[in-house]
Amino acid sequence: MTTPILVVDRVTKRFAGHTAVDALSLAVPPGVIYGLLGPNGAGKSTTIRMIMGIYAPDAGAVQLFGDGRGGVEQSERIGYLPEERGLYPKMRVLDVLLFLAEMKGMDRGTARTKSLAWLERLGLSDWRLRKVNELSKGMQQKVQFISTIIHDPDLVVMDEPFAGLDPVNAQVLKDTLFDLRARGKTILLSTHIMEQAEKICDHICIIARGKKLVDGTLAEVKRSHGGQHVLVGFDGARGDADRIFADRRLVAKVDGSAQYAELELASKADAQEILKGLVSSGARLSRFELAEPSLNKIFIDLVGPEAATAAAQPGMEVARA
Amino acid sequence: MRKVFAVIRREFVERVRQRWFWVMALLGPVIFAVIFYLPTLLGRGGGVKHIAVVDGSTSVFGAQITERLNQASAVFVAVRVPGGPNVVDSLTAEVGAKRLDGFLLVSDVTVDSGKAEYRASNVSSFVATGTLQQVLRDLVSTTRLEREGVNPEVVARARVPIALDTKKISGGKTTGESGAQSFTLAYFMAFILYFAILVYGINVMSSVLEEKTSRIVEVLVSSVTPFQLMLGKVLGVGAVSIFQFAIWGVSGRILVSQRRRLIGEGGVGDAGQVWQLPHISAETLLLFIGCFICGFLLYSAMFAAVGAMSSNEQEARQAQQPVMYLVMIAFFSMFAMINDPGSNLAVTLSLVPFTAPIAMPVRWAAGNLPGSQIALSFAILLLTIVGVTWVASRIYRVGILMTGKRPSVKELVRWVRAA
Repeated sequence: MTTPILVVDRVTKRFAGHTAVDALSLAVPPGVIYGLLGPNGAGKSTTIRMIMGIYAPDAGAVQLFGDGRGGVEQSERIGYLPEERGLYPKMRVLDVLLFLAEMKGMDRGTARTKSLAWLERLGLSDWRLRKVNELSKGMQQKVQFISTIIHDPDLVVMDEPFAGLDPVNAQVLKDTLFDLRARGKTILLSTHIMEQAEKICDHICIIARGKKLVDGTLAEVKRSHGGQHVLVGFDGARGDADRIFADRRLVAKVDGSAQYAELELASKADAQEILKGLVSSGARLSRFELAEPSLNKIFIDLVGPEAATAAAQPGMEVARA
Repeated sequence: MRKVFAVIRREFVERVRQRWFWVMALLGPVIFAVIFYLPTLLGRGGGVKHIAVVDGSTSVFGAQITERLNQASAVFVAVRVPGGPNVVDSLTAEVGAKRLDGFLLVSDVTVDSGKAEYRASNVSSFVATGTLQQVLRDLVSTTRLEREGVNPEVVARARVPIALDTKKISGGKTTGESGAQSFTLAYFMAFILYFAILVYGINVMSSVLEEKTSRIVEVLVSSVTPFQLMLGKVLGVGAVSIFQFAIWGVSGRILVSQRRRLIGEGGVGDAGQVWQLPHISAETLLLFIGCFICGFLLYSAMFAAVGAMSSNEQEARQAQQPVMYLVMIAFFSMFAMINDPGSNLAVTLSLVPFTAPIAMPVRWAAGNLPGSQIALSFAILLLTIVGVTWVASRIYRVGILMTGKRPSVKELVRWVRAA
């Protein structure tokens, strides 16, 4: 296995009254899209801030690029998109980009060329001399996104990058992320939207209440969690499906709606028995598929009860001192 | 360091591009000009007055008065009119018709009892009434003395006017500065320092607040250390203030050199007595700049911390009050110091670092600031700047990422310890 580009080694961060991140370890190999998944208040943003060197961990260490130096010292190689976006509202678009590029150690000349190229690419050329607060929300997000990757960083860290994006901009972002990965860059992103993560992440790490629940490649996680799954689609008639799904010798868990169900098979159960039972009970099927569990299902299975307790602690993200 | 420079440049360029900067740059000298020239314009009271001297005396007294008044050509053009029964009425009509500004009634009684009468459309001009009084007093006393048989030569010798010329002694040497000039200098240095420290300190605060409320600060502190960010900010705003001063300095120079043209010929001599333009020596300028830089660094660090611990404008406005009071104490104690620049209070104020940047120039201008005390003051000031900046940067570091309620003093202490 290649040396990880980022190692988080048993980091702990306590804030007044609670532990936001608890002895969390993870390793991000180079050239992948790594998803840090968890419910709200799980400690994703705190973890990311420790990776970026904005917070110092109370215990443990973060290692970037196999180097002892912190995130701020190596910021030239890192692009960061925080959860709470922000630009200078009264500055011109191009000036903001130049300034943020300078913050990443670029010289102004190169920054100008790159900025103009990116603005062109994302269709914002005509807006370069306008003030940021004259732009629409979507355009501001594009500008922010450009500022994150303008210096062509080796590691891109994004906290909830898809939050608030319309489908068009989400697609632009996704394409750019794949493009970055194809060029050997590493991307660490946090999200609580599992469908999104399932489509783009190679590696994932699920955390809740500051602790790691599972990590690995997406395939590994799917293989090791939730057992064998069957996806059933109904074409109108359900027959006696509910009785069959309730049979605990065959089905361990059901998740679904009138037209669709995701079944987790009981151990040693045979999927063919279910198919036979459904057909003979008069159900009309549009789909019957042996499948890996969806990431969403794994996530809910793992953090369901945790998520509930985490949500019952308001102000967790606020108390940052 | 390149990043700090980028922060400085952003602060500078964005501020200088703003409209208010140029409004201030252009309005500043105009305001100062008004303050300087207003007394002049008011004091002139409408130029030369044409008056008649109604001479009811039996001697040459009326003729002498007329002659003397005409010598003060900038103020009066006087014509002697012999007294008569209807003269006063017809002259009053002349004044009413605005063909004459007024008339002066003198007679032998004037010499005996010192009583005279001036009737005019405007009797509130200090210059006019002052000149009249002086001329009358001189002539009345001269006439009386001569009447008593005193040799006119002795009278003339006795009447040599006394000119009380005040000269400031500074550093054991007599300077060319008058008392009025010292006061003007002290007042303006204190005012400009107070004003600039407050305005630009608050500028630093709102800049911190802007980055905090717009959330951009999180991106910034992932690339620069909070200390670098704060340093760049303070230096950037400081550069703006010095640029502003330079504009004021140059335009002030132009205004002063063109003052004759601005006010018109004549009258400037009188005005100069009201507001004498102080001579600003190189040492004074150096002390002023030193005090401004130190005062600005000290206060802007505190204002930066205030900005960092607040979440919005309202909170900041409350939290800035203790800092503002410090500057205000320094400014208002100036009035006590000008009267007695050597007092214990004045010495203390010029040594306490929070008031020293304003107190030092005041005592300096008033002519009481030994070199040893300047050195001591600056030493204390510099040490305090280092200490305050250290504390402020720690509050800043924790504060810029905080949202929610404003921290208590206890929490602030913890931030300083923990950061």
